[in-house]
Amino acid sequence: MRVQLVNIGKKYEGRENFTIRNIDLDIASRDFCVILGPSGCGKSTLLRMIAGLNSITEGDLLFDGKRMNKVEPKDRDIAMVFQSYALYPHMTVYDNMAFSLKMRKERKHVIHERVMEAAEVLQIKEYLYSKPSEISGGQRQRVALGRAMVRKPAVFLMDEPLSNLDAKLREHMRVELVRLHKSLDTTSIYVTHDQTEAMTMATKIVLLNDGIVQQVGAPSTFYEKPANLFVAGFIGSPTMNVFHGEMKNGIFHADGGIFTVEPRKEDADLLRPYEGKRVALGIRSERFIAGEQEKNGITVVVDVIEMLGKEQLLYCKFSNGEECVISEPGYYEYAIDETHHFHFDLEGLHFFDEETTLRIN
Amino acid sequence: MKKIKSERLYLSDRPPLTPIKVVLLAISYVLLLLYVFIVLWPLAQILITSFNGNQEAYIIIGGSYSFSFKHFRYLFEETYFFNWVINTIVIAVATALLTLFVVSFTGYAYSRYRFKGRKASLMAIMLIQIIPTFAGITAFYTLHSILSAIMPWFSRQMFLVLIYAGGGIASNTFILKGYIDSISPELDDAARIDGCGNFQVYRLIIMPIVRPMLAIIALWSFIGPFLDYLMPSILLSDPKSYTLATGLYTLITDQYNMHQPVFAAGGLLTALPIIVLFIALQNQLVSGLSSGAVKG
Ligand SMILES: Nc1ncnc2c1ncn2[C@@H]1O[C@H](COP(=O)(O)OP(=O)(O)OP(=O)(O)O)[C@@H](O)[C@H]1O
Ligand SMILES: [Mg+2]
Repeated sequence: MRVQLVNIGKKYEGRENFTIRNIDLDIASRDFCVILGPSGCGKSTLLRMIAGLNSITEGDLLFDGKRMNKVEPKDRDIAMVFQSYALYPHMTVYDNMAFSLKMRKERKHVIHERVMEAAEVLQIKEYLYSKPSEISGGQRQRVALGRAMVRKPAVFLMDEPLSNLDAKLREHMRVELVRLHKSLDTTSIYVTHDQTEAMTMATKIVLLNDGIVQQVGAPSTFYEKPANLFVAGFIGSPTMNVFHGEMKNGIFHADGGIFTVEPRKEDADLLRPYEGKRVALGIRSERFIAGEQEKNGITVVVDVIEMLGKEQLLYCKFSNGEECVISEPGYYEYAIDETHHFHFDLEGLHFFDEETTLRIN
Repeated sequence: MKKIKSERLYLSDRPPLTPIKVVLLAISYVLLLLYVFIVLWPLAQILITSFNGNQEAYIIIGGSYSFSFKHFRYLFEETYFFNWVINTIVIAVATALLTLFVVSFTGYAYSRYRFKGRKASLMAIMLIQIIPTFAGITAFYTLHSILSAIMPWFSRQMFLVLIYAGGGIASNTFILKGYIDSISPELDDAARIDGCGNFQVYRLIIMPIVRPMLAIIALWSFIGPFLDYLMPSILLSDPKSYTLATGLYTLITDQYNMHQPVFAAGGLLTALPIIVLFIALQNQLVSGLSSGAVKG
């Protein structure tokens, strides 16, 4: 089902300002759309509006072109996994999962089949006859997923469903969820504040902050072409290095005179209007190349080393105290307090207008 | 020969007792036993007296004893005891049902819905608690004159039900609202998405969770009419329409009817319906059902 949000806004009763506003989104059928953003930016609010649990203050919500603003949640053909699980405490795991089908008067053996199928996928067969209070947090989360799964809904809404699982299980469930999404043939809308989840699962990411959509697109676009400084800082781990400076004669001069960069031809053309203006330069940690070069080089002292095995993260300091993170293959040998030379990979530079924080190149 | 391991596994989740704790525990047990004695002694006296055939109009403690049912026979043959029982049970059941029914709606509505006058009306309910039930008499006199003209079948016993339920609804609305407040509203949301309407959310999700509370409310409202003497003694005039409390009271105040052991026997029988209800509700009274619904 295609889900469209047209100029949607929400203002809670008793609040001065709109929590979110002017949200325009077009989620194609069978998309796995991840709504990403820091805590409190209105992700859950947006999801609950799509579910029909919160009223829509302004704008239109369309499912396959039909306006859904006033349709009851139960008639929207959706299923939702809640941030707090919201399992029915007085029912067994089995009954929890079967509840929605029972409400729709589904036949007994169909219910049983669906519940068993979901329990199989989610590995909760042993707990089917336990009460939610008798199982662990991670198991509860899987039951909550199962409860939504058995419905085979047209739109599958999830609000941080993996936040309470341990790292291994989360990794496993990520794959499982994507597989599930494919097999269910649904449109999934997934809310999270974890950019790894967003990057690995989504076919489309919506990054929300301050109640505004910061960028919409495929995960790779987010990494390679962040639309503004916020996106640049939010996506990617370790965080992108951002240096502030000024353009002089087509050359970027970093504050404190720590280095200069001569951008490649394509970037230089786009940077021409910014001559003499303040500009921010972003570069990801892996875009530093080890070794000295006469142009576009930096000299730093290694402050802290984080060894990750495959690679190592070097937390370095410039002469004026400015910091940056550089990642290098794990087998290179570095030691703390050593001075090293690196230079910029010109293909991996991001330029932002400091005033508007928007991307230039 | 193999040595048999005699050590028992210590399975309690609490730390093992130290000697001081053992002493303190012993003291608490002594105090509790004392309390049990204070409670049980009069009850035992009632029990003994009511089966003692040698007791006459006045109870004499320490007199001779001979087992007999004569006080019970007197109760059923010489008094309206059977009427009183029926009256009381009808009033109690009606009160309990009316209270449960109304409180279910008001408690849920106050907890889950935001509407105009919500705060003000909650406040009003709170204030009504300050007015003693006895003041219901005033309402009775004003209402009775109106109602008896329009609806002659509206008996004084029905008024009694209204007065009991009225008081119960006010206080229990508060209690139930607080209890429902502690249930995550996301449960309602989940149920709505799963296909429940407003009423089904209450019936299928909220009600089963608050069942222990409802059971307590039912029990309280049921017991009320058994214990209250004041209201029926003022409202009811015909001895046949008396409740147990007022009816039995005639056995210890009226010079001609004076039969204290029979009063004891009646008191003993009065406890039966309450005990039956308590046992019936025992399973419902188990609380803590809502744990496990949300994270943690
Ligand atoms: N029922 C409500 N009434 C008033 N304000 C609310 C209500 N629910 C949420 N808000 C406000 O809306 C804003 C966004 O809340 P929301 O729950 O959507 O955040 P979120 O992005 O899901 O955060 P998190 O990642 O922590 O779950 C918050 O500032 C919150 O205070
Ligand atoms: Mg949230």
